[in-house]
Amino acid sequence: MNDTKLAGTLRKEDFGSAGARRVLASGRIPAVIYGKIEPMHITVDAIDFQNKLRSISESTLLTIKVGRKNHLVLMKDIQENVLLGKVLHVDFYEVTKGEILRANVSIVLEGNPEGIKFGGVLEQIAYEVEVECLPQDLPRNIVVDVSHLGLNESIHMGAIELPPGVKALIPEDTTIASVVSIREEVLEPEVDETDLDEDGADEGAEDEDASSDDE
Amino acid sequence: MLSPKRVKYRKVQRGKRDGVAQRGNYLAFGEFGLMAEEPKWITSRQIEAARIAMTRHIKRGGKVWIRIFPHMPYTKKPAETRMGKGKGNPEGWVAVVKTGTVMFEMGGVQEDLAREALRLAASKLPIKTKFIMRREVE
Repeated sequence: MNDTKLAGTLRKEDFGSAGARRVLASGRIPAVIYGKIEPMHITVDAIDFQNKLRSISESTLLTIKVGRKNHLVLMKDIQENVLLGKVLHVDFYEVTKGEILRANVSIVLEGNPEGIKFGGVLEQIAYEVEVECLPQDLPRNIVVDVSHLGLNESIHMGAIELPPGVKALIPEDTTIASVVSIREEVLEPEVDETDLDEDGADEGAEDEDASSDDE
Repeated sequence: MLSPKRVKYRKVQRGKRDGVAQRGNYLAFGEFGLMAEEPKWITSRQIEAARIAMTRHIKRGGKVWIRIFPHMPYTKKPAETRMGKGKGNPEGWVAVVKTGTVMFEMGGVQEDLAREALRLAASKLPIKTKFIMRREVE
């Protein structure tokens, strides 16, 4: 388990969307820490956070130092500008050591399925799974071996072995990945199925009559 | 080509495409996608052309999802017609695409193949687009 450290500064004033814009313009990202404590508004360095985002996920325990106190947190939510890819706001959830928490852990597929040799395509249905465990047991990701999957076969949550102390909160019959056969594309002649132009021809004729009257 | 099976009204008002997409702006199914960087009407022909370009490039390798559907009919007046005399006749179908909409998704292929297939698809569209992929944790 990788603990990643971040430095946060307490944000005491300049709230609201205009305030958030000013914080972003100054090279920092507005964030909030909540959990059992009173919500605490902070800012973190934008460049530092964007760099760390490559190696952290929602299941990575982070340590944020605000003032003299260290907060053990999970990244709960992240707001991004979808066009620019810039982070606008981050929610951190403070966890207590020794207390069960819930987090989303990403699923990583491993291996080359057998079904691919017979023209199948590996399709990942679920990309993350919600788990319940103690903070020290939280896995970085769940690796699922799919090498045994044949054509039109699936692997479900029930068949996945989770690390000790980790309990999945999704039904056992949830499909994680499957090898599906892809049909070859057959070029069909174009047929307009919609009956949109049913009375369009009549209207067109009326229009023509009307325009000829004008002239 | 994609078109609705049945519609309540044959002709609709044009509406606006202002702002950034608040829905359909994320990867829902695949690992890679094509995001619109401009707002525009995308016709059913353009969607079909993009789909064909993609599927022919990846051959039988992967899976493609089309995240937009041409729900909206557009009309056109006949050539050399004077103005007035009511709205024109329905001509085809368009999908209203806002900035940030993920239009196509792809999965089950390598990144370079997906990138090239989506580039070919993008060349069939009348807007600027960008290739997106799921965030991978190193």
